[in-house]
Amino acid sequence: MKRHHSTWALVVALALMLAGLAVAAQAQSTADLIEVRIDNFSFGPTEVTVPAGTTVTWTNHDDIPHTVVSTDKVFKSKVLDTDEKFSFTFSTAGTYPYFCSIHPKMTGKVVVR
Amino acid sequence: MRVNPFDIRTIVLAKHAQHVVLIHFPLALFVAAVAFDYLAQWTRNQALASAAYFNLLLAAISAVPTIATGLAAWQWALEGETLKGILLLHLVLGCGSSVLIWVVAWIHWRARRRPVVQLPNYRLPVEAFGVLLVALTGHLGGFLSGVNAP
Repeated sequence: MKRHHSTWALVVALALMLAGLAVAAQAQSTADLIEVRIDNFSFGPTEVTVPAGTTVTWTNHDDIPHTVVSTDKVFKSKVLDTDEKFSFTFSTAGTYPYFCSIHPKMTGKVVVR
Repeated sequence: MRVNPFDIRTIVLAKHAQHVVLIHFPLALFVAAVAFDYLAQWTRNQALASAAYFNLLLAAISAVPTIATGLAAWQWALEGETLKGILLLHLVLGCGSSVLIWVVAWIHWRARRRPVVQLPNYRLPVEAFGVLLVALTGHLGGFLSGVNAP
């Protein structure tokens, strides 16, 4: 009887551990992916601060084409039509200002720590 | 980005900004020219016909830097990327509009070189079609630039 209880305790402990790992993995993948919306002629959020290794994805929700171009020429998207996406992984710490080359007043910034 | 509107470097180097400014000249001059030409045709007024002619000439001349800066914007801002959607339509309609402006100006110029000015009637539907193309191009340009944005 005692052995039966310890087996159950082991199973429960394993299940909890697996669940914990799954939650941690989920949190990790969420942290590594950041979304920036392009909408109404603006980037939102305008500024994002992320750890190194993070992939930032820009999605154009406007009916107008836009681009995502790094001021320092680190990254550059093609022309993004409605619902098209552009992703870039920031591996080095620094500040990355960017703009839309069709509408230069549209600006944003990615800060990588 | 802070810019000074009176800074000459901003005016010259501001990538596609020149196109957005210049486009107003051929657009307004051509529409005005066509309006004057229709009025001249209707009233048989020579002063209106002359106004139409000089507006057309200026429209044809100002269309050259306008289309040049539009193409330059394509090369500078988008690095000559293959266009699609609204941008492609704007380019095609813009080129079509420019050609029609030049054709209409040439029709008027050729007629004025003759001893008796006799403008062909077929120019009127061509001019009307030109205004339609110019309006469509401008409408798309307004969307692209954000002027027509909500």
